[in-house]
Amino acid sequence: MLHIRELEPDSPYLIDESKIRGHGVRLLVPDTEADVIAAVRDAADHGIPLTVSGMRTGVCAGCVPEGGDVLTTEKMTAVTGVGRDGRGWFLRIQPGITVRQLNDFIRKKGYAQVVDVTPNAAAALTAEMKTYFYPVDPTELNSSLGGNIATNASGPRTFKYGPTRDWVRRVRVVLSDGSTVDLTRGQVRAQNRTLNLPTSAGLRTVHLPTYTYNRQVKNTTGMLTEDGMDAVDLFIGSEGIFGVITEADVYLAEAHPLMSNILFFPGDRDAYAFAAEFRRCGISSEFLEFFDSGSLNLIRASRLDNPRFTEMPDLPDYAGSALFFDLPYGPHLTDDYAQLAPLIAAHSGSLDRSWCGHELRDRERFFAFRHAVPQSIFDYVARLKGASPGIHKMGTDMSVPLDRLDEMMDDYDEVLKRYGLEYVIFGHIGNGHPHVEIILKDLDELNRAKQAYTELAQRAIALGGSPSAEHGIGKLKTDYVRLMYGDAGVAEIRRAKSELDPQWILSPGNMVTR
Amino acid sequence: MRFVVAVKQVPDTTLIRVDEHGSLIRQGIPAILDPYAEHALEAVLGLKKPGDTVTVVTMGPPQAEAVLRRCLEIGADEAYLLADAAFAGADVHATAKTLSVFVKRVVPDATLIICGKQAADGDTGEVPAELAQMLGISQFCYVTQLKRNGDGFLVTQDYGDEQRDCRVPAGSVLSVAEGDLNRRLPSIKRYLEATALPITVLNRVQLMLGAYSVGLKGSRTKIVESHAVRTVRTGKIFDGTDPVKAAAHLKEML
Repeated sequence: MLHIRELEPDSPYLIDESKIRGHGVRLLVPDTEADVIAAVRDAADHGIPLTVSGMRTGVCAGCVPEGGDVLTTEKMTAVTGVGRDGRGWFLRIQPGITVRQLNDFIRKKGYAQVVDVTPNAAAALTAEMKTYFYPVDPTELNSSLGGNIATNASGPRTFKYGPTRDWVRRVRVVLSDGSTVDLTRGQVRAQNRTLNLPTSAGLRTVHLPTYTYNRQVKNTTGMLTEDGMDAVDLFIGSEGIFGVITEADVYLAEAHPLMSNILFFPGDRDAYAFAAEFRRCGISSEFLEFFDSGSLNLIRASRLDNPRFTEMPDLPDYAGSALFFDLPYGPHLTDDYAQLAPLIAAHSGSLDRSWCGHELRDRERFFAFRHAVPQSIFDYVARLKGASPGIHKMGTDMSVPLDRLDEMMDDYDEVLKRYGLEYVIFGHIGNGHPHVEIILKDLDELNRAKQAYTELAQRAIALGGSPSAEHGIGKLKTDYVRLMYGDAGVAEIRRAKSELDPQWILSPGNMVTR
Repeated sequence: MRFVVAVKQVPDTTLIRVDEHGSLIRQGIPAILDPYAEHALEAVLGLKKPGDTVTVVTMGPPQAEAVLRRCLEIGADEAYLLADAAFAGADVHATAKTLSVFVKRVVPDATLIICGKQAADGDTGEVPAELAQMLGISQFCYVTQLKRNGDGFLVTQDYGDEQRDCRVPAGSVLSVAEGDLNRRLPSIKRYLEATALPITVLNRVQLMLGAYSVGLKGSRTKIVESHAVRTVRTGKIFDGTDPVKAAAHLKEML
């Protein structure tokens, strides 16, 4: 049944983590794919924009409507099937299930209630002694899988496992005319840059853009396009502009015991110089996260009065920057450490100046440390807000190839200091993708930060990187699509959008404007 | 000084669930170092000076070696595992007996013998007191603070309704009730050192214990039956927005 409610101006369905508030008329809550089809057909018949919404954890206003109706997939949370193919186990899921719910489901082995997509799969997976999990960790575990797929979400573990795209086997999508398309990876490929989609209403042709999509770095700028591209990839990272995902198959990864580690270095440069060597030395880590001196100082300040930090160990005085990474816990661990020790020493670190832990309760403390950084930035901004209300922060999301990371770090320092802005740097350094959080004290700083941001985005592109590595474009970063692909590239994305959605009713305003 | 810390491997009780029959589901629950024992070890490591030795001991199956390894990672210097099929099924008495013999034969020079106040799985809290009784030495239970005081120590004991500060002579048994939640994490260097340290395994014969002194045979407690207790809360919720009415309600109830 399609539940329909009015959207009040203060409705939570009009806002996401970007804190941008949109406006809309109705909230549509489908229980089934048939409800989604009915909603899309109704929107098409009346020419009403329909913005697709998951759990609203995005930061680029992708689910924030600019009028029309909002369709939320939040009631479609089931795991419906289990199967196995040549690559491994996969689960068939509805789009509203969250990453946390999916991993809870896998942990509890709830396979008895689901359909066998391949013969005897549920029983065989139940009997498996190995532990499995869904490995993409978009940091926000309450994000929906549908949202993760629509944005090609990634996170710290992308270092080892890649982005969401690498874990999607199949998608089932409702297109703007209410027809459906069911695509399994390997079935439909583009002829050069032309895709013929076998929909329930016949073949639909989409011409893919001709620009070069950068897959050498973490990148969510614009739509993927490649010669011979798999049709599944058209919808992954498409930000809801081509269709509504109603079902998907996602692969599971085998879980291994892990040792969490934090290495402290005297300064920022020591840490990211070591990070570059770590990446090259071939040791398998789940992720590699960086915290600069500013981040550590904010944590120190928050520890004084925020009770959430109670269980976090004291940061040693000598800690000027830190790197956080997990290694497989097993017989090879001592060899891995032996290999790392001289590299650490070469960058003024030492095995003595570190924390490690392999029990769950210890590892939870490491993740508390990871989450302490955004929390302490929040605390700091809250403290400043007392002095000047309206204060905010701006986070960058740029990635560059690892061998250009040093230059990008220099650029961050140079540009942000030139604009007189306060900032901290932390995050996915292993993917050439640290986040820079610019702390804004007034409107003047906001304007300066916007200029600095554009300048940095241009530098990231010039270094072979992406201005939007994982947050996506949504409605906030459409300028960067133009920056990266030019007017011609934007026009080609618009053409693809018009081919699949001639009225532009699905999530209009995302990625490109009409 | 030589500090002997008796520790125990327990299932991580924060993860234990109960099935529909009220039985604990232990399958898939990781075994961890008992949190109270970890507090005890932390308390001792806080006192340790150069030249001191921290010895950890546990009685348990071979896999209990994992918690000893953790103690070494945190900072203990040496570890003993008392493992023998005959030790299985030991109650408080048999456990204290085995530990007391270990202390007498292996670490008779112990300056302090420290335990957690109880184990998170058994929850009896009686082993430290029985151990002290069997060794014929003083016991100081429910310790919340431990400091050096010349050749001896100063402790604060928390009995719930009263706190006591005591001078503790060397050669006593302590049980530690609480510790700093903000416990230390080992460094990688310490972890590597700990992996290289030996864990000495001693069996019943090596400890020169009689077969009828240990394990199930040496136990005085026989568990006849255990069952889950279900409690139903019959609490009522009153609207407390009007303080006058709320106070009247309270007065009526009292």
